[in-house]
Amino acid sequence: MRTSRKWLSQYMDISDLSIEEMAQKITDAGLEVEGIEHQSQGTNLVIGEVLECVDHPDSDHLHCTRVNVGNEILDIVCGAPNVQAGQKVIVAKAGAKLPGGEIKKGVIRGQESNGMICSLLELGVDPHLLTEEQKAGIEVLPEDAPVGNTDPLAYLGWDDEILDIGLTPNRNDCLASFNMAMEAGAILNRKVQLPSYKGASDCGTPTHLQVSSKTEKCPLFLGKVIGSITIKESPKWMKELLRASGMHSINNVVDISNIVMLETGQPMHFYDKDAIKNQEITVQDGFEEGYTALDGVTYALKPEDIVITNSGKPIGIAGIMGGDDSKILDTTKGLIIECAIFDHVSIRNTARRLNLATESSIRYQKGIEPLAAQKALDRAVQLLIEYADAKDIEETVQYGKTPYEPQTLTCTVDAINGRLGTDFTSEEVMDVFKRLQWDPKMEKDHFQVFIPSYRNDVEGMADLSEEVIRLIGYDRLPSTLPQMEMTEGKLNEKQRLMRYLRAYFTGQGLQDAMTYTLVSTKKKEDAILSVGDAIELASPMSEERRFIRTSILPSLLDVVSYNQARHIPDVNVFELSDVASKQETKTHGAFILSGKLQETRWAGYELPADFYTAKGLMEEILEHVGINSKRISFTENTMDTTHFHPYRSAQIKLGNETLGIIGEIHPKYAQECDCKGVILCEFDVDMLTEAKKSKIKYTPVSKYPSVQRDLAFVIDRSMPVQNVVDVIQKHGKLDKEMIIRNVEVFDVYQGEHVKENEKSVALSIVFQSDQKTLKEEEINTIYNAVIESIQKECNASLRS
Amino acid sequence: MEQIENLAKQALQQIQECTQMKELNDLRVYYLGKKGPVQELMKNMKNLSPEERPIFGQQVNQLKGQIAETIEQKKEELAMKEMEEKIEKEKIDITLPGRKPVVGNMHPLNLITQELEDLFIGLGYQVIEGNDIVSDEYCFERANIPKDHPARDMQDSLYIDPNWLLRTHTTAIQMKVLEESAPNLPIKVVCPGKVYRRDDDDATHSHQFMQMEGLVIGEHVTLSDLKGTLEFMAKKLFGQDRQIRFRPSFFPFTEPSVEVDVSCHICNGKGCPTCKNTGWIEILGAGEVHPNVLKMAGYDPDKCSGFAFGVGIERVAMLKYGIDDIRHFYTDDLRFLDTFKRYE
Repeated sequence: MRTSRKWLSQYMDISDLSIEEMAQKITDAGLEVEGIEHQSQGTNLVIGEVLECVDHPDSDHLHCTRVNVGNEILDIVCGAPNVQAGQKVIVAKAGAKLPGGEIKKGVIRGQESNGMICSLLELGVDPHLLTEEQKAGIEVLPEDAPVGNTDPLAYLGWDDEILDIGLTPNRNDCLASFNMAMEAGAILNRKVQLPSYKGASDCGTPTHLQVSSKTEKCPLFLGKVIGSITIKESPKWMKELLRASGMHSINNVVDISNIVMLETGQPMHFYDKDAIKNQEITVQDGFEEGYTALDGVTYALKPEDIVITNSGKPIGIAGIMGGDDSKILDTTKGLIIECAIFDHVSIRNTARRLNLATESSIRYQKGIEPLAAQKALDRAVQLLIEYADAKDIEETVQYGKTPYEPQTLTCTVDAINGRLGTDFTSEEVMDVFKRLQWDPKMEKDHFQVFIPSYRNDVEGMADLSEEVIRLIGYDRLPSTLPQMEMTEGKLNEKQRLMRYLRAYFTGQGLQDAMTYTLVSTKKKEDAILSVGDAIELASPMSEERRFIRTSILPSLLDVVSYNQARHIPDVNVFELSDVASKQETKTHGAFILSGKLQETRWAGYELPADFYTAKGLMEEILEHVGINSKRISFTENTMDTTHFHPYRSAQIKLGNETLGIIGEIHPKYAQECDCKGVILCEFDVDMLTEAKKSKIKYTPVSKYPSVQRDLAFVIDRSMPVQNVVDVIQKHGKLDKEMIIRNVEVFDVYQGEHVKENEKSVALSIVFQSDQKTLKEEEINTIYNAVIESIQKECNASLRS
Repeated sequence: MEQIENLAKQALQQIQECTQMKELNDLRVYYLGKKGPVQELMKNMKNLSPEERPIFGQQVNQLKGQIAETIEQKKEELAMKEMEEKIEKEKIDITLPGRKPVVGNMHPLNLITQELEDLFIGLGYQVIEGNDIVSDEYCFERANIPKDHPARDMQDSLYIDPNWLLRTHTTAIQMKVLEESAPNLPIKVVCPGKVYRRDDDDATHSHQFMQMEGLVIGEHVTLSDLKGTLEFMAKKLFGQDRQIRFRPSFFPFTEPSVEVDVSCHICNGKGCPTCKNTGWIEILGAGEVHPNVLKMAGYDPDKCSGFAFGVGIERVAMLKYGIDDIRHFYTDDLRFLDTFKRYE
C-alpha cells in the first residue's frame, strides 16, 4: 500500500513530523513501512529562465546557455535537445546534490558551465510516471513560473514523499486511504478530518435503470445514471494524488473512479450510458466464451466467472475489468455507475486463471468493508458534480442488501491488563480508543466502544487488547515467566530411542542426513521396505515432487551419488524420518555405506563398507537397545532382489517379523542411481520402539577359569556358518548348565588346498562353568560330542 | 695370599672390561667353575698350616662371593644397556597421523531442534510430534483460518484430497494437542516437525522446511509471559547479551500477534549486513492464543489463556551459523554437514 504524505496531509496536520519519524511510528504500531520513497530529490535547485541558447562551438549536440536564476545569471552548458531561449527551467546550481551525484563548476570542451538544467529523470522521478518527451529532455515549466523560486519541485508538485506499507491480511481496510488516515491519526495521535460526503448520492430523478443478479456471487449492486457529464483534464490535486499511488491521469471522469477507489477501497465501474441498451444490467455466471476486455485482449470465460451483462451479452468481467464497447471515451456524454460487492474467492480464482491482477481485482480479493459501496457512490457523485459538471442525475437503483450490523463491544480494563500482563490505567486505555475515534464510554468498571464498519477484524476482548498494546507501545510490555504448577519436561520412549539411534550412528562414523519427503514417480517405484501404496498429491508442483515417500533409501541414494560425483570416496550416511502410505505412517531408519567406514591408509588400517560392516552395525545397535540377540536373525532376502544383490543381502527379522532389509545394492540399480559400491539398509523404528526389551541386570562373573579350544573343518561352500555355530551351541550343556560361553569364527577360507565347492572354517570355543573348575575330561566329552555332531549334521570333515 | 689378591685383581678387571653377555657368562663359568682358578686355589690349602687354613678358606670364599656379585652387577648393567639399545631401535615417528576415528555428527537442523527441545524440557515442556499429513480441519479450521483463506486453496498448499494435506505449519500439531488435553490444565509443549509449502526451491525458499511450535495454556498466561519465555530462548540460542523486541503482526490463531526480533548477535545491535543495518533480526512469530482456537478445542477462553510461538528451524540455523542457502540443508553435501562436527 502506497500512502503519500500529501494525501495524509489533506486530513491531518503532520507538518511537524519527518517522513522517517512517521514511518517508525507506523511500523511500531503494526503496519510495517517497507520503504520510504521520495518522489524526486535534489538540493540547491532554482527556477531559471533561459536568456540565450547557442550551439556549442566544439560539439554537435551541446548548447551554451545563459540562465537567469533571479539573483544572478549563470553560464550553463546543456546537452538536452529541447533546450531553447525563453524557457522556464529547473536549474541545479553548483553544489547541488542530485541522485546521480553532486553538481560542480567546470569547463566543458572549453566553455564554462556553472550548473545544470535538469530533466525530471535526473531529479529521481520514477520513469514510469513520465512521458517519452519528459524522459528525452529537460523539464520545461509553464511560462508563468516564478524565476528565482528555490523550490521548483514543490512548485511542480513533484515533492511528495511516499510510505510503502506492508499490510497484514487483517488490516486490508487500510487499502482505503480514508481508513489509512484514521489509522495514521490514531498512531500519530492527530485529529483526523475526512471530507464530508455522506448522502451525496441521495439526489436524483426517477430512473429507468434496472440492475439485478442471477448469481449469489453478487450480494449487492448499486447502479446510478448520471445523464450528463463533461470530460476534461483533471485538476492538479487529483493528478498528484494518482501519481503518488503510481497511477496515470486519464481524464476527470476516469480519474474520479480511481480516486474514489483509492479513498474508499471500493472499486467501481463507469459505463458509457449510451452503450448500455435498455438501461439494463444483469450480473450472471455460466458463460463459456471468448470475451474482449478494454485492454483489447480476448479472455476465455468459464462458467464459474462472474460476468456483467447487458441484453444477455457480457459487458465486463465482474470486479476485474470492463469491456471495450462501453468504456469511457472523450466523447462520452453520460454514465452508468456500477458499485457492487462480488464474492472474493470467485474473483480471486478468475483473476488468477486469466492472469489479471488489476487494482480492482486485488481489492476485491482482499475483501472490502461492507459500507464501502455506499460510501464510494456518495463520494463519486460529489466529485462528479464538482469536477465533471454532472447533471441529469437519476436516483440510485439497488439490488440486494448491505451486509452490515453496527457493532459495539464491552470490556473491562482488568481483562485487558490480564491478557497482556500489564498494569495500564483506565485513562491510558480510554486514550487509545479516543485516538481510534471509537467513541469510548466508561461505565463503572467496564467500558464500551463502537467498532467502525471497516474494522471487521475486531470481534472481542482479545482484539481490543491488541489495539491497546500496539498503540501504547510494545516497549511497555513487561517480561515475566508463566506462574503455574510444576510440569515435567520429558521425551517419550520413541523420542529417546530416536536420539539414541542418532548418537549411535554418528558415533560409528555415519553422517546424519535429511532429504525431501516428496519424491518422483521413479523413486516411488523404487521404494525399499515400502510401508504401502504411495500417496499422490492432488496437484503436485513438479514431477520430482509428486508422491509422499514410502521409504527413505531412494532419496538417500541421491545423497550418495551427489557426493560421489564430487569425488568424496567414503559416503556413509543415515536418516531417520517418517514415511507414509495410504495404509499407515511409520518412522523408518536407513543408512548407506560406501568406500570405507574407517581408514588410516599409511597404517594399513581400514573398516571397509561391506555387508558385514553393515550387519555388525545393526547387530550391535539391536543388542544395545535391549533386544535379545536370540530374537534377531538375518535370513535370506526373499523380499526385494530388484534393488539388492540377491546373494549379498538379508532380511533382518525380529522373531518372525521383518524388521528391516540389508545388503549390497543390485549392480543394475546401482547403475540407475549412479552409485558405486553401496551397502543399503532400511529398518522399522516403530517396531524397534515397541519391541520387548530386557532391562539391565547384573549376573555375577564366574569365579572359575575358562578354557579355549580351537577347531577347524571343511564344509560345503553353500553351508551357512551359522548352522555350524547352532550345532555347537546345541551341544554345549553339562549337567543342564550351558558351559559353551562363546563361539567365535576366526577364519573362513576358500582357495588353494581346499576343494572348489568347499570352504574351511576355523572356530574357537570358550568353556566355562559358574559352579566349578571344569575338568579336562568334562571338556573333552562336550568337545568330542560337538565335533561328532558337526561331522554328522553339517557333513563337515575335521582338519588336523 | 698374594695369589688370591692377584686372582681377584685379574678377575675383577676382566669382568669390568666385559661388554657382551656371552663373554660375561664365559667368565663366570671359567672363574667359578669346578676347574676354574678359584677352585684351583683350594688345592694350595694342603700346604698351609692348620691355623692358616680356615683363614685362607674364608678368603677364597670371599673372593668367590666377590666375583659372583660383580658378575651379577655387570650382568644387570649389560642387560640394561642391551634394553636401552633395543628401545632406541624401537623409536617411532610420532608426527605420523594417528588412526583418527571417523565420527559423524548431527544434521544442523536436528542439532538446532534438539538444542531447542532440551532448552524447553528444562523449563518443564513436553515434546510432542505429529503426522506430516493432517486434515484441513486441524491445519486451518481449528487454527481460525477461514475457508476462503488463500492457503486453503488446493493450488496454494500441498493437498492430497479436499480433506487432507501436508501440514503447512506445526500449528496443526498444536491444535491436536489442545483438543486431546481439553479440559485439563496446564499445557506446556513444544512441537517440532517438517512442514510443506507450495514454493519453488531457491536460496531462501524451500517447499519443505522445519518448524517448532511452542504452546503454554494455563489459568493466567499472559503476553508478558511470552516475552519472558522467548527472551530466555533467545539468550540460550544466541548468547546471554541478546535482547528481544515485539512488533505487532497478524496470525489468525493468535491475538494479539507479534513478530519477534532478537538483537543482532553479529554486530551486537550496532548494524551490519546480517541485520540489514537495523540491529535486529526477525526470528519468529508468536502471540496470545486466539479465544476462538481455545473454544473450538473445548476450553473456556474466559477461564484460561496462553501463548503460542512458531520458530523456523532453518532460519535459526542460517542465522546462527551464517548459512547462505536453504537448499544446503537438503542436498547433504558431506563437506557442508562436516561443518557441524564441533561440540558447542
